[in-house]
Amino acid sequence: MDAKQTEIAEKIKKILVENLRIPAEELDYEIELFGDGIGLDSIDSLEIIAGIDQEFGVQMTGVAKENFYNIEALSKYVMEHMED
Amino acid sequence: MSSCPWQIIRKVIQILNKYILPLYGRRRKRHQEVNMAENEKRCVITGLGMINAIGNTVDESWNNCINGVSGIKEVRSIDTGSCYSHMGAEAAPNFDVEAGEDADKMDRVSLLCVKAANEAVADSGIIIDDSNADRVGVVMGSCVGGAVSIQKFFTDKENEEGSEDAADIIKMPIGVIANNVAKLVGAKGVVTNVGNACAASTISIEYACDLIRAGVGDAFIVGGADSFSALAFGGFTALHAIDTEPCSPYNKSKGITLGEGAGALVVESYEHAKARGAKIYCDVLGGGISSDAHHITAPRPDSEGQMNAMKRALANSNVKPQDIDYINGHATGTPLNDSTEIQAMQMIFGDNENTAVDSTKSMVGHCLGAAGAVEAIYTVKALTTNTVPPTIGYSDEDLVNLKEKAGKLDFMPNVKKEKNIEYAMTNNFAFGGNNASVIFSKHEHDIKPLENNKVYVTGFGLVSPVGNSIEAYIEAVKNGGVKAGENGLLASVGTEDYKEHEIKLAFYRKLDKLSQTQVVSGRSCLKNSGVTVNDDNAVDIGMIIGTADGPSTEIISFHEGLIKNGLQAGSAFIFPNTVYNAAGGYLSINSGVKGVNVTLTNGMQSGLQSICYAYNVVRDGEEKMMMACGLDENTDTMKLLYDKLGYFSKDGSAKPYGFNGKEFVLGEGSTSMMLESEASADERGAVKYAEIAGYAMTHEPVCVGTLAGSDAALDKAIIKACENAGISPDDIDGIVGFGDGNTTVDTIEMNSYKRVFSSGKPVFSVKTIVGEARAAAATLQAVHAALTLSGKLPANQNAYVFEDNKDAEITVDTSDYKYMLVTSFAAGGSYTAVVLKKVI
Repeated sequence: MDAKQTEIAEKIKKILVENLRIPAEELDYEIELFGDGIGLDSIDSLEIIAGIDQEFGVQMTGVAKENFYNIEALSKYVMEHMED
Repeated sequence: MSSCPWQIIRKVIQILNKYILPLYGRRRKRHQEVNMAENEKRCVITGLGMINAIGNTVDESWNNCINGVSGIKEVRSIDTGSCYSHMGAEAAPNFDVEAGEDADKMDRVSLLCVKAANEAVADSGIIIDDSNADRVGVVMGSCVGGAVSIQKFFTDKENEEGSEDAADIIKMPIGVIANNVAKLVGAKGVVTNVGNACAASTISIEYACDLIRAGVGDAFIVGGADSFSALAFGGFTALHAIDTEPCSPYNKSKGITLGEGAGALVVESYEHAKARGAKIYCDVLGGGISSDAHHITAPRPDSEGQMNAMKRALANSNVKPQDIDYINGHATGTPLNDSTEIQAMQMIFGDNENTAVDSTKSMVGHCLGAAGAVEAIYTVKALTTNTVPPTIGYSDEDLVNLKEKAGKLDFMPNVKKEKNIEYAMTNNFAFGGNNASVIFSKHEHDIKPLENNKVYVTGFGLVSPVGNSIEAYIEAVKNGGVKAGENGLLASVGTEDYKEHEIKLAFYRKLDKLSQTQVVSGRSCLKNSGVTVNDDNAVDIGMIIGTADGPSTEIISFHEGLIKNGLQAGSAFIFPNTVYNAAGGYLSINSGVKGVNVTLTNGMQSGLQSICYAYNVVRDGEEKMMMACGLDENTDTMKLLYDKLGYFSKDGSAKPYGFNGKEFVLGEGSTSMMLESEASADERGAVKYAEIAGYAMTHEPVCVGTLAGSDAALDKAIIKACENAGISPDDIDGIVGFGDGNTTVDTIEMNSYKRVFSSGKPVFSVKTIVGEARAAAATLQAVHAALTLSGKLPANQNAYVFEDNKDAEITVDTSDYKYMLVTSFAAGGSYTAVVLKKVI
């Protein structure tokens, strides 16, 4: 990840910690968010979509599941779809 | 929705055959073996009242309902401009209501409730006066309570710090709704509120029947109310669960349409109704309450919990599935809810030739806590007029699609139908995975006999400022507890608790502190009782949770998000935690218990009302084991509210029975107490700490938010509880009291004891140790009594004795104690007393 993506990833991590009450120490950029990793569910995904929309102005409603796999995937999607 | 429903249905049949049906067989057999109680009283409906989007009265609303008039329009009471949907089914903005001198102290939710209750009382013709007031109660359900006042208070605060009005605080909780009704109609019996979200008012009807059959009262005004609110609209918007079009449940809806309104029913014993020559609409037979133990918002994919509620209602009513002519479905309009509900009904009623099912929500929207009452009233009207209302919103194409999923069920598309109805069922399912069904009958019909079990305390769970175990509490009693600081007394749950009960991060991080507290307390209670929940016993275990303030902190946090970020930007994560029954729902999910699951809310005494309710459930044989819980929290938000009302002791110096001010030390926590039938306890060799010998719940209506002038109700609660326990008040050896440092409260308690008992009784105080932990303290008072009677606490304890309008602290020897009394109160004038008896 380059500096810009890392900056985005850090902001997404903050959203996850603050809005979804995930302890920061449990989160790195690679850990699987849904399924076996952190165990997020559909309600959490709504919160992530809302948080990313608010922070970056990027719409992720209906976006393919693999873009939510981990913070790295989320930050990649956000970086590619952000308007400068 | 699944692409292969038949696989799911086959799977459900397998589960049914393997687990559920054998349980019902066993349950029935058990009943044949026990002595029958004299408590299978006929319960009848004698009065109806309603307001919603299609009418201000029952007649107006019913006529519009059967004619398919929709009340769904563009929302007007809140600005939905920023949201993706703008549909709602609001009641009239202004309506005539006789709300008396306290009208300006009521949130819209109470005004709606009072409007419906006044109509129901007038319709029933019941005269409530000194001759019967003690035997008339009020039980009301709500989901969001005074959400409009919460929104106002915190919007004012955001706009100008300090401009917020303390008068709005007492309008906020669900707990005041029934009090407002009781004061107007003059009811002095059991007064409480059910906080089980969208199943709340269905449960209120069932609970009234339980209380009548238990001999606790003769008539109850029940039902519920919810007003249109930013909380609900913002919450369901965040969950993307609101349809952009008017909802047409069971049809093509992609979500709900929110409604508002109130429904009230007078439920009365047949004898009482007959004696006064009342008009009788119909009989209420049995009900069924269950928990999914699955997810906080989504129903179980296999529909097991919904089916359990319906099957219990059928079994308790002693009727067969084919007897049911009409079902008013929960039918919210979300694809998942509708499909699981249709699946459940197909499983139970699918072979019936002629069962009609409809969704009156297609006209009045989802009235949340009022839904159960509004729909029960439509069910009663359908039954008594032989007219089934339609579900509106079907196009020609929809009618073709309907044929594929309807099977033999008649979903009443678009037009009403005349048909003979002998038995009708209404179903409601709530967040938290709570399900409730109730059956009405046109004629007298013998219900399943109730048991008359002895009920014992067989275990405890605790989260408290002095630690999270009963051992920690016992230690604290020995050494006097901990000193309160500027924030009062705080409890905490953490890694060690989660590790002990193997609760995973993925689960507990979703919960607010209140729910975390209840989950740990409940799991500890199961463990302490020696109960391992498994497929065989899950449906035999339930819980009643009492809470004064519920998840106020989470509710307010959600509102603050709306105020800051807009109605469209509510937190989908927080919203599910804002229902009062979230804590009970999470405990069910985490522990796997699938039985009766009810949340009661009426002030501090909610933690004793939970014991009374749980006792009834076990005594009647509905469950083998019930956790009775009390739950409340102390957060910055609670501190803000209690401080604004002038009750918060900022230096922690306030003391129970200090008689020197209105402040108390705010505490928090959850107390859980296992109540179990004698047969169950003996069968598994459980320790019996004490027997629940009797209880009473009373009310003396005083101004909302106050207590002064309600003294007589405490006297009555104590005298009646002793009477029910088969003893005289003077047989009481000691009392675990409710004094918290507020002079008004403590003086009422002291004076009542002086009037009721011929000599001074020792009064033990748990609030000196855990603070005013409200409902958590009330349940802990009963635990303290059980621990004393069982010898788990040291025989020599500190106690207060009241003499000459002051108290003296003494040490008493409790080793010969046989009966202990526990008392508690709620602002508005409600009291509960419970008698515990030593097990010899």
